[in-house]
Amino acid sequence: MMNRRTALLSGAAALAAPALLTACAEAPAVVSSAPPPPATQAPGFYRYKVGSLNVTTVNDGFASFPLNGFVVNKPLAEVQAVLRANFEPEDRLRVPFNVTFVETRRGLVAFDAGNGALAPTDTRGRMIANMAAAGIDPAKVVAVVISHFHADHISGLTTAEGLRAFPNAEVVVPQTEWRFWNDAGNESRSPERQRPSFANTARRFQVYDGRIRVIRDNAEVMPGIRAVAAHGHTPGHTAYHIADGDAQLMYVADTTNRPVPMALNPGWHAVVDFDAAMAEATRRRIYDRLSADRVAMTGYHFPFPAYGHLTREGGGYRFRLADWQGTV
Amino acid sequence: MSIERRGLLLAGAGALAAPLSAPVLLRQAQAQTAPAAAPAGPAPGPSFYRFKVGSFTVTMLHDGFFTIPVEGFVANAQLAEVQATLAGSFLNTTRLTIPFTAMVVDTGRHLVAMDTGTAGINPTSQLLPANMRAAGIDPTKVTHVVISHFHGDHINGLLTGTGMTYPNAEVVVPAAEWSFWNDEGNVTRSPERQRGNFPNIKRRFAPYAGRVRQIADGAEAVPGIRAAAAPGHTPGHTCYHIADGAEQAMFLADLTNRPELFARNPNWHVVFDFDAQLAEAGRKRMLDRVATDRIRVMGYHYPFPANGYMAKDGAGFRFHLADWSSAV
Repeated sequence: MMNRRTALLSGAAALAAPALLTACAEAPAVVSSAPPPPATQAPGFYRYKVGSLNVTTVNDGFASFPLNGFVVNKPLAEVQAVLRANFEPEDRLRVPFNVTFVETRRGLVAFDAGNGALAPTDTRGRMIANMAAAGIDPAKVVAVVISHFHADHISGLTTAEGLRAFPNAEVVVPQTEWRFWNDAGNESRSPERQRPSFANTARRFQVYDGRIRVIRDNAEVMPGIRAVAAHGHTPGHTAYHIADGDAQLMYVADTTNRPVPMALNPGWHAVVDFDAAMAEATRRRIYDRLSADRVAMTGYHFPFPAYGHLTREGGGYRFRLADWQGTV
Repeated sequence: MSIERRGLLLAGAGALAAPLSAPVLLRQAQAQTAPAAAPAGPAPGPSFYRFKVGSFTVTMLHDGFFTIPVEGFVANAQLAEVQATLAGSFLNTTRLTIPFTAMVVDTGRHLVAMDTGTAGINPTSQLLPANMRAAGIDPTKVTHVVISHFHGDHINGLLTGTGMTYPNAEVVVPAAEWSFWNDEGNVTRSPERQRGNFPNIKRRFAPYAGRVRQIADGAEAVPGIRAAAAPGHTPGHTCYHIADGAEQAMFLADLTNRPELFARNPNWHVVFDFDAQLAEAGRKRMLDRVATDRIRVMGYHYPFPANGYMAKDGAGFRFHLADWSSAV
């Protein structure tokens, strides 16, 4: 058994140890010896409305990448200066994942699928617990609408056992994306770091055989939801426009990675882009429209709850989180 | 500014804007009940958020919001200018939403509540108790309640009904604030809209008699949390500097109301300020300090999670929300 001194000195116990044991000795207050608040984060989900539609952002944790090498066409020091000016870390880029659920009149629709089941120690893969916290039952999802086939967007289609994570859903995929990654001939023509996506694509979609709906560029997914071709990040990368009455929301997916620094500097090329020049043209086109028309937007790698607006700033765009509402 | 002029300004604004004292807010609550009848949506997520300052764990606890007409809210700026600023931040230009977020700091030795929430002075501002429960914080284990100033939205949560919310806590108050509001002679010297605070303060502190500790500017409330006087909003309004090891943060309380207005334009005067000129001087001094030293700040009326950083921007400051992290 640890004595009190050991407990206080041990790093782990410093968090878990009753802060109040010591307080008892000093303060006149009578305080019980139950443990202090657990230092866990609030569940990562957030609800808002688009017109009459309920929308839920579900966070899937984050990954962090070395900053060095992330922006391929700018010197590290210049990237770091922008991050510093915006109070973000200068050594690693912390990339969050956010999956958007929309309750449509036809049922619950997910936009992308998260990283899937990972070890509890992984900083990614929080979506399953956060869906549960949000009361979202994957069996009630009628459609999973996919922006592109990078692993962090599609691996969550399957469970740890390799089964359908959304057992009753159809999976809606952009035709350009589907054709590209299902043609083995493209593998040798792809950048080295993109090649694992071929095998992962085959693996994640297999269990949805017969439930996959391939849609053309800019086609309607269902009433109120339309694909917006946004090629470049991957060959068939697609954004989605969601409308209800006058209200609208654009899911930009990976049109840019984190808005600081990438939306602030649309000319910067991320190492994760398949065709950087095409990706740049796409994001300038889409972000121009969103900022000019003040359209609400959400992005997969935007800071949680990843819902807000883009405004023009200098030669780029600044993301402004929408005001947090404690009630829907 | 003379007392006469100030009284006139504040009284004039009072017709439009309810002061934060119980009786008037009750009337306001009734006025807002009717239009608030929206169809019940799914439950929102809990609105708490945790981060570390050194080994301290800070938990931000959202208490909801109230709305107030934009007209008359800024005492010394043109309505059109205020509205343009709000529109630029995607905020409503007719009625301003003012959020409330209190906090709890676990220093490892003490569990410290900083300001207490509104105790439900209107229907959209009673979220703190539920968010505190969701965060696993038991108010009976709070060892200290540290108060920034005595406006109702900061002290009303001392009571739950007529009983103590924090039955085992010592209440730490700025000495200048305590002596001002506990001197009956000051009632007639106060602007009309501030007078309701006198009886409210008596009532809220009454059950804590014998366990209120007054501290001077620069004194420690508990080890690691130090008073930094910023009078003007009220005579003894106080910010608190939180430090552990090399890390620091500043609880700004009501140094500014919404940062999109008053950090951006530090010379704008909110109608709630007791002495607007004094408040402005303190605001500029403190904002300059936290921006220069890149100190993380928490603001009581800032958009939840109400913590981030101030960057100098033109003649004012821009508030950057800190990144939401799923890991504490």
